[in-house]
Amino acid sequence: MGKIITVHSYKGGTGKTLLSINLAALYANKGKSVCLLDLDFRAPSLQAIFKVRDVEYWVNDYLNGVCEIKKVLKDLSQTHTKRGHFLVGLANPSTEAIREMTAKDRKWEMKALGRLLSLKTSLINDMQLDYVIFDTSPGLQYSSINAIVSSDIALVVSGTDISDIKGTQRMIEELYELFEKKTGLIMNKVLAEVLSSKSERADLTKQLMNSYNLPLIEMIPCFCDILKEGGTKVFATENPEHPFIKTLDQVATSIENL
Amino acid sequence: MTLPRRLEQSSASILQKIKECLDQLNEKMEVMIELSKHGQRASSQDGLPDVLDVMTLLSLPDHLRKTAVTLCKLEQATADEVADQTKRARAVESGYLNQLVLMGYVKKERRGRKAYFFVERESGEKEVTKAWARS
Repeated sequence: MGKIITVHSYKGGTGKTLLSINLAALYANKGKSVCLLDLDFRAPSLQAIFKVRDVEYWVNDYLNGVCEIKKVLKDLSQTHTKRGHFLVGLANPSTEAIREMTAKDRKWEMKALGRLLSLKTSLINDMQLDYVIFDTSPGLQYSSINAIVSSDIALVVSGTDISDIKGTQRMIEELYELFEKKTGLIMNKVLAEVLSSKSERADLTKQLMNSYNLPLIEMIPCFCDILKEGGTKVFATENPEHPFIKTLDQVATSIENL
Repeated sequence: MTLPRRLEQSSASILQKIKECLDQLNEKMEVMIELSKHGQRASSQDGLPDVLDVMTLLSLPDHLRKTAVTLCKLEQATADEVADQTKRARAVESGYLNQLVLMGYVKKERRGRKAYFFVERESGEKEVTKAWARS
């Protein structure tokens, strides 16, 4: 049975999109059938990264009830995986679409929740996908909470900044615990010195365990070469031996044990 | 048909009707019990529609949230089907579902002996018809 995974965070800039893309590509390179959906309607990113041409339907259209999900999905298997299937659904990056999505009312959000929930049937049961990954907007946005409710597993990404840790802690207590969702924490962009020092690593782990009532899936170091690429490269496909991808591989294993 | 056989069939049908009435009575009692426990109809009085969106789900008490999220996932279901998912007793779920109906978040439709609950997302009728077509 396939899984729907939401990647979310309290603050922006934690690396949700980078993690989502590479986790999806990693699964695809393992021979799995994967679908990555951009649910960050306030700051759509996947179109700029994958440079898909001639997009007729966006995820926005699916949630608006204009089309079925199959019409939205673009097959990038040829360019982004050697083995499995890699599908993406893009959020419309036009200013007009962003404005429209931020002005939706509660009734629309309720319908959108229904359409996201029905992806379990269309993508997992009917299309037999192994993994569906939702890349979301940070914080307590309607679209993100809809995604969390509709998924099987939620991955919360946090930096080591105190405002991020405190905000994430509150969000877990007041959102994730209420929905009784299987959730794992990923600390991202952790200083390499902290991770290489046994005592500092232990201190940080202890601090995190005290702050969060969640399993800590992984602490991912900050990789300068990844930042240098500026999101132009999918490491899981182009450089699968990179330590970042090796760490993500451990994340993929931990997800199975949540 | 012999007289004893006709009498037997007629009493079976009367008993069936009594059972259906008792079921309905039981459901109404469950609603009354729930309402006395958790207060009167919480339907919005601020003019906003009773919409079961995620913010509303968050604001519900834990026991009702579990039922409401389960119903959102199932689209339409009987109390038995919800109870199967939540691992709580059917009577408990029936009470919670009826409370959600009274709060205006969930609709209920009786089909034969079964009561179906659903979240009205599209123009009500269409969604129910769609759900029935699938079942």
